[in-house]
Amino acid sequence: MQENIKIICIGCPLGCEITLTIGQKGKVEDMWGNSCKEGKAYALEEYQNPARILTSTVRTKNCSRPLLPVKTTKPVLKTELMQCISALARIRVSPPIKIGEVVLDNFLETGVDVIATDNL
Amino acid sequence: MNLQGMDIDVAVIGAGPAGMAAAIKAREKGAENVLIIERDTRLGGLLHQCIHNGFGLLYFGENLTGPEYSHRFTEKLLDTGARALLETMVLRISGEKEITAVNRRDGLFTIKPKSIVLAMGCRERSRGNINLHGTRPAGVLTAGTAQRLVNIEGFLPGKKIVILGTGDIGMIMARRLTLEGAEVKAAVEILPYAGGLIRNEVQCLHDFKIPVFLQHTVTKIYGEKRVRAVDIAALDANNNPIPETKRTIECDTLLLSVGLIPENELSTAAGIKLDPVTGGAVVNEARQTNVEGIFAGGNVLHVHDLVDNVSWESEIAGEYAARFAGGKKPPAGQITLKAGRNIRYVLPQIISGKNNVDLYLRVREPQKKVIIKMGGIQVGKTIPGVKPSSMIKLDLSAEDQQKFKRNEIVIDCLTKGD
Repeated sequence: MQENIKIICIGCPLGCEITLTIGQKGKVEDMWGNSCKEGKAYALEEYQNPARILTSTVRTKNCSRPLLPVKTTKPVLKTELMQCISALARIRVSPPIKIGEVVLDNFLETGVDVIATDNL
Repeated sequence: MNLQGMDIDVAVIGAGPAGMAAAIKAREKGAENVLIIERDTRLGGLLHQCIHNGFGLLYFGENLTGPEYSHRFTEKLLDTGARALLETMVLRISGEKEITAVNRRDGLFTIKPKSIVLAMGCRERSRGNINLHGTRPAGVLTAGTAQRLVNIEGFLPGKKIVILGTGDIGMIMARRLTLEGAEVKAAVEILPYAGGLIRNEVQCLHDFKIPVFLQHTVTKIYGEKRVRAVDIAALDANNNPIPETKRTIECDTLLLSVGLIPENELSTAAGIKLDPVTGGAVVNEARQTNVEGIFAGGNVLHVHDLVDNVSWESEIAGEYAARFAGGKKPPAGQITLKAGRNIRYVLPQIISGKNNVDLYLRVREPQKKVIIKMGGIQVGKTIPGVKPSSMIKLDLSAEDQQKFKRNEIVIDCLTKGD
């Protein structure tokens, strides 16, 4: 059983559409469509670890600004993004908060922290 | 501070990324009294609402969010001892570099700095700019307005969204609204390709499986008090809608991400000549406008795709503004640069021919394996691919400029081997 998946490289304005042939047990057996070796590395990483830094906001209390912008310290699996955002919807933070301060630690047991990206 | 009659070397209009970088550089290059004037309550401009990451990859070699990028510059600005005047609106700049401004504390006042840096940024094109047909209900707003509502004020502007235009802010809002629980029903783009950066196309549209309609446009808006639906249709080769392809999409919100316009009302009133293509001032390599001692940098000059380039460009303006305040005029312009094949514009438009210069170029159409020729001479290496949404930065050495035989140089973007 082989399967072809397509990944668009974001390395440069070319935006190469890279095709990966995935064999049994998810092994990458072939790859084409990339124009450079950075593209190859990107496609492999994107296939093996499709994760993103999540940026969002959390609600504040006792503060004139209703929201504090936040981000995860490490990329979160794409499939877990919606779960993470729901967890953020449940918390409230009060000033003072320093940029870089942990707002939520070990987010959903992932080992990823959520930190403030601004002072409050 | 008593503003009237205050001795100011460099005044910077706007405290977004451009203004902050210019003010910092002006201080570093020896301008004693640097004043930055900002209409908002905080330094940082639009960066506060750009809570996503991707900022500073080039400038800091780090992947920062907008507020983090802003924070770096705010701290540095305060360290340099530049003064900031917040909640202050500049009303007029005269050709003699007299600034008239107003705020609640000082009322109406005028100052006369030795030099000025324009850093007012840009604003979004709105419904009026693109003549959208239909009723005029609530729920039609620019992507940037939606961004402010969602990221600063804490409101969701709608539940079922259609986005017209795939500029970067539009794509980023498609992701943001999806994450916040809205359904983005379509991203509609007139061009045959997405308008913004590739990374946004992949990480904002593809990641969230947003339906994308290329070579389509919105032809009608329905709804009395609130948007009820929009019609979209495919476009023919002349960009006219094809009636048979019309389909109606139910939605309560239409976001517009249809381009940005440099904000130059103050500039034109000061007698500054604008480039009809960029919408910003015509400048030389020092980013000096045709009015001596008035400089410009960032999105007020031409719309950038990366804030990193906004900062770098404005540092040039800040540096030369400081020198000007110290009595040193920028190198005189000798050579005019003209956009040639597949080049939409080049900046600066005028160079002296004596210094190393970074040129900023934008192409008209996507093109692969390109070389850039200036006056028939190749500059730089082969570029694998170019796209209108990605600005090209080109190092032009003083040595290269020695080879120019004319004082008007045409820049062409050619396919290698042609």
